[in-house]
Amino acid sequence: MPSNISNSSGLQRLIAQLAPLLIVSALVFALPVLLNNDFLLNKVARYLVLGILTISLGLSWGFGGILNLGQAMSFGLGSYAMAMALKLKTVPVHTGASGLPDFMVWNNVQHLPWFWEPFRSLSFAIAAGLLVPALVAAGLGWFMFRGRVTGVYVSIITLATMVVINLVIIDQQSYTGGFNGITDLAQLELFGVAFDAYGRATYYLVAGCVLLSLLVAFAFTKSRAGLIVQAIRDHESRVRYFGYDVALYQIFVFALSAAIAGLAGMLYTVVMEFASPTFLGVQLSLSVVVWCAVGGRQSLVGAFLGAVLVAGMQGALSESAAFLETWTLVMGALFVLVVLFLPKGLAGLAQATWRWVAQRRQAASGAVARGVSQTEGST
Amino acid sequence: MDQLIEQIVTGLSIGSILLLVALGLSIIYGSMGIINLAHGEFVMLGAYAAWVFHTYLGLGLLASLVPIFLVVAAFGWVIERYVLSLLNNRPLDTILATWGVGIMLQQAVRLMVGSELRYVQLPPALSDSMDVFGIPISSYRVFLFVVSIALFGATWLLMNRTPVGMKLRAIIQDRSVAASFGINAKRVYALTFAYGAGLAGLAGALVSPLKSVSPDMGTGYVVDAFMVVVLGGVQSLAGTVASAFILGELSGGIAFLQNDTVAKTIVLLAIVVLIRFRPEGLFTARVRA
Repeated sequence: MPSNISNSSGLQRLIAQLAPLLIVSALVFALPVLLNNDFLLNKVARYLVLGILTISLGLSWGFGGILNLGQAMSFGLGSYAMAMALKLKTVPVHTGASGLPDFMVWNNVQHLPWFWEPFRSLSFAIAAGLLVPALVAAGLGWFMFRGRVTGVYVSIITLATMVVINLVIIDQQSYTGGFNGITDLAQLELFGVAFDAYGRATYYLVAGCVLLSLLVAFAFTKSRAGLIVQAIRDHESRVRYFGYDVALYQIFVFALSAAIAGLAGMLYTVVMEFASPTFLGVQLSLSVVVWCAVGGRQSLVGAFLGAVLVAGMQGALSESAAFLETWTLVMGALFVLVVLFLPKGLAGLAQATWRWVAQRRQAASGAVARGVSQTEGST
Repeated sequence: MDQLIEQIVTGLSIGSILLLVALGLSIIYGSMGIINLAHGEFVMLGAYAAWVFHTYLGLGLLASLVPIFLVVAAFGWVIERYVLSLLNNRPLDTILATWGVGIMLQQAVRLMVGSELRYVQLPPALSDSMDVFGIPISSYRVFLFVVSIALFGATWLLMNRTPVGMKLRAIIQDRSVAASFGINAKRVYALTFAYGAGLAGLAGALVSPLKSVSPDMGTGYVVDAFMVVVLGGVQSLAGTVASAFILGELSGGIAFLQNDTVAKTIVLLAIVVLIRFRPEGLFTARVRA
């Protein structure tokens, strides 16, 4: 019987932990009913995609203690994988059945490069969008964590690696579209459904991926490996003394985080209808860190909401003339204040408030109980 | 042969600019453990200060160097005092906070003076070129080289031969012991950060005649300067000098053979590999802990 009780309370705790995740996902799914505007819906979908990217950073930074300043690298790789597949679909329309993507024609490329060839298959592209970032991250992680590189140096290495890839993409204009990126893409078609960037289908695809990434990330943080990763974050050497292969767990969380970022990148291409070198730029990479810190790096839902809120506000305010100029200033100030006074972000603030309310209620009910027992005593 | 010498001289001049920018960063990181992502913005503030002094006060670049140092140092002091000193023992958070400060400074400048490019004139005394080994070299670049070495010397003296430097080194060794000897760590940290910021400001003022001045000009410098600091070893000033000139020559040399992108890529990758195998930097001896 006692084990049964602890099981049911364990289940209750699980439900309590899942509740914010499910509520947020339900809201995300319900939004199109409230919002009857395709243009706006596309914009929201964009913010949701950035939310997925931020969840991925929360996983490696908040839970793994690995501050990846090059998170946009994985995002960009995913985005290019999708863009390459969608670009090849436009070839017959633009340059004939045996032609090349238009920007290659402008750059006098004679044959489709070997690394473009497999992207004729959409399923290959989707697999690549997940696996290429994951493998690159695993390789980089192997290189860093086997050498016990930690802290600030991890951040510098990830940042430098991303800048290198960005430089290469911009430089190799004839194969990557260079500075302009890959534009003028076909629509994504999966299982007979066409995903128009401004259509409902695309929005629900993004919403489904939000739920999926939240669930995957949540499951990981509750798994044995996830717990060890958090233990490494807090006391790396102690975990090592217990005989765990610390680097292996770090590499895993780093790669998982990259795969989720790759997924976000692919979705971003579908929603934005292009891929650009800015998708793996320093600016975006640092913005993700901001969103994650504002929302709460140690909370998946917090990180997600942080991205949607801040990116959404940024989008809204930068369109209104009054805030066009001051917005960045406001964001910088907000960010500094969050770092200084809310190290756990808005999610930490919400948790603290919730605990305070619960304590107050408990204290109040305690006082009532005491009052009852007192009156009983007096009679 | 002439081309080779020209290339070496170009490398030296890239190196002296790198050294100017990296020197302040190196002190701040080496002594306080703060990754100062706002460093590029201090460079930018220095450049704008040079422009303001010239346009509104009619002060020449050379005459305004000292005031520029003081103005930017004051900015640094305020930021250390009211932001960074609240982040003791949270080194990763200092990255975030200084980045936030950086974008605020950038945007504030954009709001106040606009985002159009500004130009600062070369000091007339240094606007001609000199003959070095039969090759004409701009006097200003020679001047930059001399100034960067002189600033390095001054910084070395400050760290090793003055009471403030002594106190700073004591704090680096053991903060609590230093405090128990009556050293005011807060004050020394604020002064250190202010000095580093002031150096960055000087760097900005000194490069302003070579490049156009814009609110986002600092971003490029900060990454390069980091590479210098990491390559040189965190607590080694001499390492900073060596690595600044090595990187200067390297990017000059590779850019000469290939193109800028290849140069940057090779330098960045070399640094990634270096951090992995020698996180203490090329020029620091391994010390017993």
